[in-house]
Amino acid sequence: MSRRLDSVKTILWTIMGVLAVVTAARYVNGLGAVTNLSDAAPWGLWIAFDVMAGVALAAGGFTLAATVYIFGLTRYRPFVRPAILTAFLGYIAVAVGLLYDLGLPWHILHPLVYPQSHSVLFEVAMCVMLYLTVLALEFSPVILEHPWFDRPLFRAAHHVLKRATIPLVIAGIVLSTLHQSSLGSLFLIAPFRVHPLWYSPFIWILFLISAVGMGLMMVTLESYVSAWLFGHTLPSDRLAGLGRASSVVLLVYAGLRLGDLAWRDQIGLALRASPMAALFWFELAAGAIIPGLLLAVPAVRRHALGLGLISGMVVLGIIGYRFDVSIVAFSRPAGAGYFPSWVEFVVSAGIVAGALLVFIFFVEQLRVYPPEHADARPTGGAQRMDPHGMQPRLPRALAAPRRQSLAFVVGAAAAWAFLPGAAIFGAPSAPVPVTAARAIAGTVTQRGTGPGHAFTVVPTQASVPDPAAREWLLLIDGNRDGRLVVFPHDRHQGALGGTQSCAACHHANLPFGRGTACAACHRDMYSRADIFDHATHIERLGGNAGCVRCHADQEVAKTRATATSCTTCHAGMFVAGSRVRPTGTRDGHAAGYLDAMHRLCINCHSERMKTEPAKHPVDFAECRGCHRDADGRAIERLEPYATGVHPPSSVRLGR
Amino acid sequence: MTAKAILTDTTRCTGCERCVAACKQTNALGPDRPGRWQIRIDDLSATRFTTIVRHDGRFVRQQCRHCAEPACVAACLVGAMQKTAEGPVIYDGDRCMGCRYCMVACPFEIPRYEWAASVPYVRKCSMCYTRLGEGRVPACVDACPEKATIFGDREALVAEGQRRIHEHPERYVNHVFGEHEVGGTSVLTISDIPLDFLGAGKGITGSSLPDLTWAALSKVPSLAFGVGGLMAGVFWITDRRMKLQAESAAHAQQTTTEPAAGDGTPGKTERER
Repeated sequence: MSRRLDSVKTILWTIMGVLAVVTAARYVNGLGAVTNLSDAAPWGLWIAFDVMAGVALAAGGFTLAATVYIFGLTRYRPFVRPAILTAFLGYIAVAVGLLYDLGLPWHILHPLVYPQSHSVLFEVAMCVMLYLTVLALEFSPVILEHPWFDRPLFRAAHHVLKRATIPLVIAGIVLSTLHQSSLGSLFLIAPFRVHPLWYSPFIWILFLISAVGMGLMMVTLESYVSAWLFGHTLPSDRLAGLGRASSVVLLVYAGLRLGDLAWRDQIGLALRASPMAALFWFELAAGAIIPGLLLAVPAVRRHALGLGLISGMVVLGIIGYRFDVSIVAFSRPAGAGYFPSWVEFVVSAGIVAGALLVFIFFVEQLRVYPPEHADARPTGGAQRMDPHGMQPRLPRALAAPRRQSLAFVVGAAAAWAFLPGAAIFGAPSAPVPVTAARAIAGTVTQRGTGPGHAFTVVPTQASVPDPAAREWLLLIDGNRDGRLVVFPHDRHQGALGGTQSCAACHHANLPFGRGTACAACHRDMYSRADIFDHATHIERLGGNAGCVRCHADQEVAKTRATATSCTTCHAGMFVAGSRVRPTGTRDGHAAGYLDAMHRLCINCHSERMKTEPAKHPVDFAECRGCHRDADGRAIERLEPYATGVHPPSSVRLGR
Repeated sequence: MTAKAILTDTTRCTGCERCVAACKQTNALGPDRPGRWQIRIDDLSATRFTTIVRHDGRFVRQQCRHCAEPACVAACLVGAMQKTAEGPVIYDGDRCMGCRYCMVACPFEIPRYEWAASVPYVRKCSMCYTRLGEGRVPACVDACPEKATIFGDREALVAEGQRRIHEHPERYVNHVFGEHEVGGTSVLTISDIPLDFLGAGKGITGSSLPDLTWAALSKVPSLAFGVGGLMAGVFWITDRRMKLQAESAAHAQQTTTEPAAGDGTPGKTERER
């Protein structure tokens, strides 16, 4: 076992440790807590990479099986076993990825229970399930060759499976053709949402042929990785043969994409200077045109480094094609972006790491690579002297697993440390900070007739002819979305008893405060806000000596739940006869702005409507009584708002 | 049962949102809480099946359009989305896998997901399907004080929309939104402004979306048999050629004592590339 392989395994086990923790977070708190998916971006990295790209990456299996068993090009036989194993693990990775992405993963077998045959996704699901079975059967002879299975029953199974090779290979090719193409057909149903550079009625052909190119190049890339990892020699002439075939496939693919664009009369769109056009050309050039042309040159495809780089380029380019169709070129409402969270990246990386570890395990235990390949280098690690000499040494066979276990634990700990709060405590409400109501001088005139029709606010003093009709109005629009309530503050003050009536609607909780603005404490539009200032309390109550003023019981942990209630000292903040009362159960929290305002206004309005209905308009206690939807944006532009004239002293604004 | 529909006239809507409140009450949706997964609190969400979109000074009610040929129904691989004879498109959470292909497929971007839940479901308007079964009208229609949104047979409502446009051509855009869009919808809107800001933008046309996938999907059986037959045929040819070559090689080995060029496998026939 080489040291390089050990190091790679250690890295992979670290990723697995991270994966273990984020997996728990994913299933406990749901998709919203760990991903950046949204109603505008229902499909993200897990679909684009784990499913779309994953299936294409595993296309080497059927491509190589067809080459060797059907077309009889037996010199490529050494590639078949690793390609089948990659495909098998690749499809298992796709299934595992789906277990993360599906909202209800325990329903993953429902396509078998409730089939809906007019769905493209149903066809994909059935083909993937069947192909996974075919791949398992195709690979199982390799497992059955292991000495452990050298028993009559397993020998018989091995014999049957060997006899069934050709039917299995043909079934695998048929199933692959169907679902590799149908992954493209999935997007046919969204003609208005997939960008026209990518939306094509023939997208299924493009997906299929790009998958074949991807499969050939992926087998090439794998040979490089396994040569590096296991110390195999590179089968250069065979790889050059694969390169030549890829050249043809990639150039056909590039030609079809450009031909499709011309046929759909969208070539102009690709020539326009736009980000989408740049993306289109970048992905097509890197994934098909450049490698296709380079591989047509014999010297290039025989050059060891050149072929390796080109295969990496093709793999990335065609992954890019899948990403473009499923995420980048998929329309979202304005203002809705999507970039995967690190948890999404870690899950994708972790699934690949897991597949790689199983791959390495199989290579170590089974004859995945033909014997002429397995000229494993003598590692010599076990013979090396321990520099410290004094410590008892574990046998090397145990030292590596111990290091890898440690890597797993370190990875898990790191993941726990960096996990976003949402992933631990569940998805929180997004903060919507509140800004204080704005005051303008003006008057309200009704536009249109009948209840519920919009009001016009005339804010400039000059435009109100009668000074008596002028009053100070508060424009209540906590989240500044332009939908506001015009609140005649002076009129309310007058009705409730003049300047002595502040406490009827305002808390009096700040020192010398008569009418603290609502937004000072009700700081979030929808969520409770923590308004307890611990530092100020320590300072006012005499530093550390003041702890016992609130944390009277020395025996219990000093938490908010065990501390003295705020109202013990701040009884004065609730004035007798005031309409503002504490309704929450959690000390030191202010209700959301929307709730606070609604409770204050609606309770009073409905009471008055009951007690003295004749004195008020019919819609006095209804939503539209206050929400008349004056155009906030128009007001924003009007003077004195735009010029920032200060409100009068009678209307105090918070913060 | 004849197909039912909802007709909304934006010129009559005052934006009072009683439809929203009635919808929330009927479906027990609870208060809206903003999440990272929605753009605006008053956008459609898992707790808001209908909402009033404020656009250009108008109030435009947004809800599931209950298409005649729904993309979500064609997309769903387990039949969790169903088009009923009465018109509504309804959802069955017991079947749903949570793949969210319906959300991808919907041209009007209607279905919403319970992103915050660890057992999430797709949520959307069902046109009060259970109320229809009881002979009642949808809750939103019941709640509208201005008769801006009305319920009835789809054909009658299309005619009603056209009648209003015909009577007051100066007041309306001459188009019943939903009469032909994506093959017709069971939620119709008439308005004094173009409504192409709803859904996936200006591209929405009259063509049925399920037909687009069916064009590819219907080729699957012939593709399967074609590829299978082709592969079997190619195998038969190559296999036979290999056998003949092996025979001739064996024959040559018998006549001359020279060993055949081969590494044990009979298929040493690969073309040099």
